[in-house]
Amino acid sequence: MSFAPETDPRKARAFPFVVAWLILLLLGGLSFWVALLGLGPWAPTVQFSIAAIQTAMLFILFMRLKGSPSLKWVLAVSGFFWLLFLYGLSMTDYTNRQGWPLMYDPSGPSYQLPQRSR
Amino acid sequence: MPRSAVLQPEIQYANLAQQGETAEFGMWVFLVNETIFFGALIFTYFLYRLTYPHEFAVAAKDAVLWCGSLNFLLLLTSSLTMVIAINAAAQGERRAMILWLVATVALGFSFLGVKGFEYYLDFQDKVVPVINYVAKPGEGRTGELFWVFYWVATALHAVHLSIGIGLVLYVLLWKIRRGEITPAYYAPLEVIGIYWSFVDTVWLYLYPCIYLVGRS
Repeated sequence: MSFAPETDPRKARAFPFVVAWLILLLLGGLSFWVALLGLGPWAPTVQFSIAAIQTAMLFILFMRLKGSPSLKWVLAVSGFFWLLFLYGLSMTDYTNRQGWPLMYDPSGPSYQLPQRSR
Repeated sequence: MPRSAVLQPEIQYANLAQQGETAEFGMWVFLVNETIFFGALIFTYFLYRLTYPHEFAVAAKDAVLWCGSLNFLLLLTSSLTMVIAINAAAQGERRAMILWLVATVALGFSFLGVKGFEYYLDFQDKVVPVINYVAKPGEGRTGELFWVFYWVATALHAVHLSIGIGLVLYVLLWKIRRGEITPAYYAPLEVIGIYWSFVDTVWLYLYPCIYLVGRS
């Protein structure tokens, strides 16, 4: 017996999607709550992790990747795969800059030109 | 004889099922581009946010939280109504399909209405870069970068949603009336549903980027 929701439109019922929708809303509420905790740079990390879970739910259930041919899975993942290249190669520049990134400092403006070492 | 009874695949396809599969595949190819498009936009946001964290935290406090949160609810709900409409189409429940599609369009228009009102409030708050912008204390000159992202990202998202609404209206007012959406062939609706949920996905990332910054 499988507890996985049926996503084939010819057989699917509304109830599993309503449950998924409620979970998506709860996750949104969790993201909001995280914003109030003062986690600093960890807040966007947690919030984007939550968004990634929500994305997986939307892709698999609402966009019906579940039960789809493998080729659709390849396409669904490939956009994020190419983004990894974009992010990774761009960050090779930024992470090698002196004094970047500066963490949130509530006492005042954050960005100052880094001191050059001679 | 209803038109649906004579619905035939285009000449290059063996049958309607193959035609529908191809249409869905084409949409997924398009969404790969869209993923990179919005992904690059959000990446630039994080580069600026990591460079100017204090200024972004101060500037983002002017974002209208209730508008963003309400739109979050509206969009997720519209994805639900869309997927139920597709189920109804596949199961031959024509009336239910039309009702759920109308609900989807109504939720889409509601999103745009809230967004429009939010833009009005933003204009009142003087957070429109170049046109009407006044820097808040502690925000510095770079806080404006946050609002540049806000306007570009939300406007692009609204354009995408408007296209989605147009496509659903096209199905409602044209294809369904002509009997071209049937249990045997509902791929146009399925393709639009995939696009609609993707636009919803983009908001899942814009919401924490814009509305949940500097709230602690």
